[in-house]
Amino acid sequence: MVNKFTVEGFESFIEKAEALKSTGKPTYVLFSGSKDPATGKSWCPDCVVADPVINNVLDKLESEDVNFLYVSVGPRTFWKDQSNPFRTDLRTKLKSVPTLFKYGSSKRLEERQCSNPNLVEMLFED
Amino acid sequence: MVIISSIKNPKTISLLFRYFRNVRYSTNVSSFSTKSITPSVLLPNCCRNFPRYDPLVNYSLKNIVRSSSYCCNLRNCAKTHEIQASRTYKSTMPPTFLQKSPQEIVERCISENKVFIFSKSFCPFCFKVKAIFRSERIGFDALELDLIENGAEIQEALFAKSGQKTVPNVYINGEHVGGSDKVQELHSKGELITLLNPKTHSYDYDYIVIGGGSGGLASSKEAARLGAKVAVCDFVKPTPIGTTWGLGGTCVNVGCIPKKLMHQAAILGHDLKDSREFGWSTPEKPEHNWNTMVEGIQNHIGSLNWGYRVALRDKKIDYLNAFATFVDEHTIKTVDKKGKEKTLTSNNFLIAVGGRPRYPDIPGAKEFGITSDDIFSLPYSPGKTLLVGASYISLECAGFLHGLGYDVTVMVRSILLRGFDRQMSEKIGEIMEQMGVKFLRETIPTSVERIEEGQPGKLKVTAKTRSGGQVVDEYNTVVFAIGRDPFISELGLENIGVQLAKSGKIVVDKREVSSVSNVYAVGDVIDGGLELTPVAIQAGKLLARRLYGNGKELMDYVNVPTTVFTAIEYGCCGLSEEAAVEKFGEANIDVYHSNFWPLEFTVAHRPENDCYAKLVVLRKEGEEFVIGFHYLGPNAGEVTQGFSIALKLNATKSDFDNLVGIHPTCAEVFTTLTITKRSGKDVASQGC
Repeated sequence: MVNKFTVEGFESFIEKAEALKSTGKPTYVLFSGSKDPATGKSWCPDCVVADPVINNVLDKLESEDVNFLYVSVGPRTFWKDQSNPFRTDLRTKLKSVPTLFKYGSSKRLEERQCSNPNLVEMLFED
Repeated sequence: MVIISSIKNPKTISLLFRYFRNVRYSTNVSSFSTKSITPSVLLPNCCRNFPRYDPLVNYSLKNIVRSSSYCCNLRNCAKTHEIQASRTYKSTMPPTFLQKSPQEIVERCISENKVFIFSKSFCPFCFKVKAIFRSERIGFDALELDLIENGAEIQEALFAKSGQKTVPNVYINGEHVGGSDKVQELHSKGELITLLNPKTHSYDYDYIVIGGGSGGLASSKEAARLGAKVAVCDFVKPTPIGTTWGLGGTCVNVGCIPKKLMHQAAILGHDLKDSREFGWSTPEKPEHNWNTMVEGIQNHIGSLNWGYRVALRDKKIDYLNAFATFVDEHTIKTVDKKGKEKTLTSNNFLIAVGGRPRYPDIPGAKEFGITSDDIFSLPYSPGKTLLVGASYISLECAGFLHGLGYDVTVMVRSILLRGFDRQMSEKIGEIMEQMGVKFLRETIPTSVERIEEGQPGKLKVTAKTRSGGQVVDEYNTVVFAIGRDPFISELGLENIGVQLAKSGKIVVDKREVSSVSNVYAVGDVIDGGLELTPVAIQAGKLLARRLYGNGKELMDYVNVPTTVFTAIEYGCCGLSEEAAVEKFGEANIDVYHSNFWPLEFTVAHRPENDCYAKLVVLRKEGEEFVIGFHYLGPNAGEVTQGFSIALKLNATKSDFDNLVGIHPTCAEVFTTLTITKRSGKDVASQGC
């Protein structure tokens, strides 16, 4: 069973991620550009492409007991600020959105890698 | 413009090239009259021989030619040759070949070469097509129709055969492909590579690589890029104390990478001491936390392991975390850690399983000792440490452990750094000793006992000296670094009859083929190779290009630069002083040398004469060829990497002298070496 959660902003991310980590289940986090409320689409085109790919893999995972946390990093202007905490904090050190990683590990996929189902599957494999 | 009509000796041509390399090359090739040059000399020889100038061959041609446009062409060929993309046709053919009938020439060019381009040397479309093959690093052969007398007839014959009148006219695997547009189209669709490697067998894979280290990964990725169906089997057998690691092999997990990072940790400690002299208020005794360092390093390694898996998956290479054993020469059986077995077949195999540290056959070695396989992920601070062995691994570990503040002893059976330059090796030992590393010379351990449990515990080491004495001491950690053995005993090589050398390593020829024709080997497992990651990478890539990219280039094991990251770093390239003297005789060898005092050392009051530079030169025909480069000092890897290209290009001492230094640097010492050992003059550093 994949437990899905959604948060917005760095503080809520850390809070939620730490809580999920304490469940002892593997926690996967997807960082995306926030969606425009009017269109429902992220400002980041790679995120738009990656979303359905990742969801597809998640759907196939139904039997696995994992946490999946969807994090909206904020609007484009916030993300482009090189000093935003997603980029600077040692726990995230993001270079790009989308980034998909296994929380607390070195395993991460960035940008177009997130829309390669092969790679996304591999991330969830172990 | 100069006429060279009678030079047929290929070595002469490489000499000419050498002679002209200080001349500005004219790029105006149009003024170049091909008729004045015997075609058989023009292309093939220069391509075949550039740039291997052999200092041992007698050359006396210095004053023959005085212009450079011929060399301009040579130079183009040289570039071509260097990336192994093109040989001209005749380089593999007897000179009489071009006297055959045009039809026969065409037929043979096509049938005897995997990729063949009928071309004209001035044709921009031909350039374009060649550039495509080069960019894909696919080897090709070409015949420049404008540079041979019967070019027009050959072009006619080609038209009759292919229905194509123009050049370039490309053939792959004997099939007519077409001209520039067609090649570009195939290239943009990614189909050029498919034409190159048509399926000719029914095995599961074209290429199975056993061993996911530097050599294996590089070769697998290059083969996959060239269209081969590839699998990589990698399985790390845990060390006696249970250490294991991810994909990437020794270098990434338990070698170069963690070693250099721990070395950096030690350098930072040293710099912190220096920093006080430069005005920083750093504590007099900065504290180091072993676990923080290990965690940082292991996190980085984790991301590299993951990166390799991503790269393999991305390139559609199957990765099996399983141990492979040969069943027959086209079949392996793999077993994963859950015991699940699989049988896979492949046309070709690459063995790139590397080596593992050797343990001495003494009581307690495997139970209580560790090796470089364990030290970089050791979950506790090692404490007082004994390193057994005088290999570079031993001395590097001793260097960083001492730099991190541990009490370190090195136990040496005979000499330090066997195989390296003696003077440099001994100097490293002296300097490390001055720094506070203890050396037990001519001593070997006889037993290790545990006298206290713990992390670290306490071990009693008994050793004997050569003179028969006994040495007993207590340590928290004992690291064995007495050598490495190829990790092939369980590969089932006996099932297919792969021949092993006395060293236990795999015998390969210069094409890295073992005694079984479809089984190749690169890296630390090959007999007579160099145990260096970049060598394995290069060999693995070139092998893949030869197998799947019509490549011809062989791995060049000469003048490979390397660096030992001891407390004082040592970089070298070419021959040691001893090897040079042995090979060429003492009378023909000179050694230029000097101590130097890096500027950074002055304010910090570091020793004046620790750093040292020497060039070993061969005196020949009034020139001094630099055949050995040795540097002891900071940033040795960076310095040596740059200078090694000079040795590759057969630089002379006067080339070094003509080079302008960068001031203030350590490397600039090589531009001002004037004192030879023969002169007996003092080279101690005098300061600025």
